[in-house]
Amino acid sequence: MKSATTEARGIRALLIGLALVWLALIILLPLLAVFAQAFDKGFATFWAAIVEPDALAAIRLTLLTAIIVVPLNCVFGMCAAWAISKHDFRGRDLLTTLIDLPFSVSPVVAGLMFVLLFGANGWFGPWLIAHGVRIMFAVPAIVIATAFVTFPYVARELIPLMSAQGKAEEEAALTLGAGFFQTFWHVTLPNIRWGLLYGVLLTNARAMGEFGAVSVVSGHIRGLTDTMPLHVEVLYNEYNFVGAFAVASLLAALALVTLAAKALLEWRHRDSIAASGH
Amino acid sequence: MTITIDHLVKTFGTASALNGVSLEIPDKSFVALLGPSGSGKTTLLRIIAGLETADSGYVLFGGEDVTDRPVQRRNIGFVFQHYALFRHMTVAQNIAFGLTVMKRRERPSKDAIAARVDELLALVQLPGLGGRFPSQLSGGQRQRVALARALAREPAILLLDEPFGALDTKVRRELRGALREIHDRVGLTSIFVTHDREEAFALADTVAILSNGRIEQFAAPREIEQAPASEFVRDFVI
Amino acid sequence: MATASALPAPGGAGRRKPIFRRRVAMPGLGLTLGVTLLWLGLLVLLPIAAVIVRSLGLGPAHFAEVALSARALAAYRLSFGAALAAAAINGVFGLLIAWVLVRYDFPGKRLAGALVDLPFALPTAVAGIALTAIYANTGIVGGPLGKIGITLAYNPAGVVLALIFIGLPFVVRTVEPVLADLGQDIEEAAATLGASRLIVFRRVLLPEILPALLTGFALAFARGVGEYGSVIFIAGNMPFRSEIAPLLIVTQLEQFDYEGATAIAAVMLVVSFAMLAVINLIQARERTWRNGG
Repeated sequence: MKSATTEARGIRALLIGLALVWLALIILLPLLAVFAQAFDKGFATFWAAIVEPDALAAIRLTLLTAIIVVPLNCVFGMCAAWAISKHDFRGRDLLTTLIDLPFSVSPVVAGLMFVLLFGANGWFGPWLIAHGVRIMFAVPAIVIATAFVTFPYVARELIPLMSAQGKAEEEAALTLGAGFFQTFWHVTLPNIRWGLLYGVLLTNARAMGEFGAVSVVSGHIRGLTDTMPLHVEVLYNEYNFVGAFAVASLLAALALVTLAAKALLEWRHRDSIAASGH
Repeated sequence: MTITIDHLVKTFGTASALNGVSLEIPDKSFVALLGPSGSGKTTLLRIIAGLETADSGYVLFGGEDVTDRPVQRRNIGFVFQHYALFRHMTVAQNIAFGLTVMKRRERPSKDAIAARVDELLALVQLPGLGGRFPSQLSGGQRQRVALARALAREPAILLLDEPFGALDTKVRRELRGALREIHDRVGLTSIFVTHDREEAFALADTVAILSNGRIEQFAAPREIEQAPASEFVRDFVI
Repeated sequence: MATASALPAPGGAGRRKPIFRRRVAMPGLGLTLGVTLLWLGLLVLLPIAAVIVRSLGLGPAHFAEVALSARALAAYRLSFGAALAAAAINGVFGLLIAWVLVRYDFPGKRLAGALVDLPFALPTAVAGIALTAIYANTGIVGGPLGKIGITLAYNPAGVVLALIFIGLPFVVRTVEPVLADLGQDIEEAAATLGASRLIVFRRVLLPEILPALLTGFALAFARGVGEYGSVIFIAGNMPFRSEIAPLLIVTQLEQFDYEGATAIAAVMLVVSFAMLAVINLIQARERTWRNGG
């Protein structure tokens, strides 16, 4: 019998088929292409492209950037979420909107902003040059640009979660004599740990994969200021496709790990990250 | 410990919650704050606890001004309507929390804390349940744990916000008796918020009836019944 | 016995007048808000101010000259046009995928659901070269298509393709929860009134999910306008034809034309903020509408 609120079998199959074909064309096929191209000339060629000194330097720089940026934005995200979700103050909604700003700024524009601040004829450029401080076209600029781009992720994850959890447990801790850090550490943090982990994973994925903003500020000095995505571009433009896809496959693997971890978190701890928007 | 409430005023935005409330609560008394929702009773309790701050007016404990003393240093126990137990901690860890967050110098030893937890579990008639998590308990049991937790640091004052509000009638009766007994045994000064007239009159020595942020009457239950101070009190209690 | 005793006047003995009254009991506001504002100010607001101030410094005439040059206009047209086209296509297929994921059971559903998020996690440069590998005329999809005269790489179509990849999860993930929340009862009610499935969808379901669909569309569009990494590999990057606005900024920076780059960046920033305002407006509308209804 045909139910009143679902479609006929044929239509259902058609819709499912259409959706899957689209997903395959737009997402699955490109993903598989990365790995297929990386191993096109065999494992040895792949491996040679990874352990080549410039590639290793790029990997090191990418890891270094993530190691600096992720904790910084993690601390910031927790602070912002505490202030916004546990307190009431004027301008709170405005602050929440401002935190989202980096999401809507083009990565290239983000990079340009820091050129205008730290470049040779930027606001702080002359002073920096006079004092021998190198920010542009060096690691500090890469870190700063990455921090900008990944700025909202942790806060965005935690604000809805902590707002939904309310303040009762924190207030209980206060009446029991706990101070701010004790309350946060013993009471709030255990309640948000999975959401926090999720935010950290997203921040990390974006930090390691950022291209546009870093591209503008890095200066593309091979072996020195090329991150993994930039190194992919360099190899690709030199028609070294196996090399480009080999490094790209590492980044794709990182993306897959991130997605797998996310799926696992959603499956195991659905309730404790459910309040997040996406 | 005596509690003195002196001309407390509190507004939220444009809505006023308390319009100059004053009360003198004697040591070891058991007081109910009774009123309809929106009468300001919970706000008053939270200001006494230090969870909210008044716009003006004073709170004194034992004659000492505590108005600007943060909640952590008021030495009160607070029981929340929905228990507010720490979900990720066991019952024993919940009860021990107030002791474990004390400064190292003042903190009791591990054994002493464990002994105190057992003692409190016995007091609230939940012996042997220390290893459970709050999610494994019934509503009545959770509120007993919340009570034990609030008493762990031996507060002189116990504040309860609609402590039986989320429980069914039978559990409510049992818990009421237990609370009154604990109050008398420990020698506390207790204040509890309720909107249930019968509960307030059955449990408290003195009842403060609030309406629109004002105290309508503050007297023993019998006195209120015999001589209601205002039209509102007459309508509300009889 | 307790009575409502007469009290001494406020401010009497033993009471000190506080100089600074703590306004909130919950601790940590000063510290956390301080850290937030400092980090936000230094990392986000100061750089944005730099772009705005520098572009204002150009003066209106000069600004218009560089920000609205023929090449820049062509680049805006491509960036906005392609983002609009991609968001529209994502609106259709994103809704389809969300519908299938919420309503039907089929083998591989979990995997399909996880795949949707890949564009959020995959670095854009990787997406760019991967899409090119498949859709260029040497690729496994681009090759056969090329034989029948369709080229999807190194032209504006390539830009749209890359932006479809980037924007898809925005639509799916905004529509999905709303679709899942919709009870079957309104559909059943409509069906008992004799409405066909198609009419139920168009008259009953679509109005319910339209705000979410619009939000997803706007998010995908906003993201697409500024997208760079995934596009430049597949676009061809010919000025006036397949050059997106962010690429024009990069090109001008490489030629040390800071004024041109800043002016175009300012235009894009203003558009981004306008988009953000629109998205917030849609979401605020949706919330009040939901709460009221």
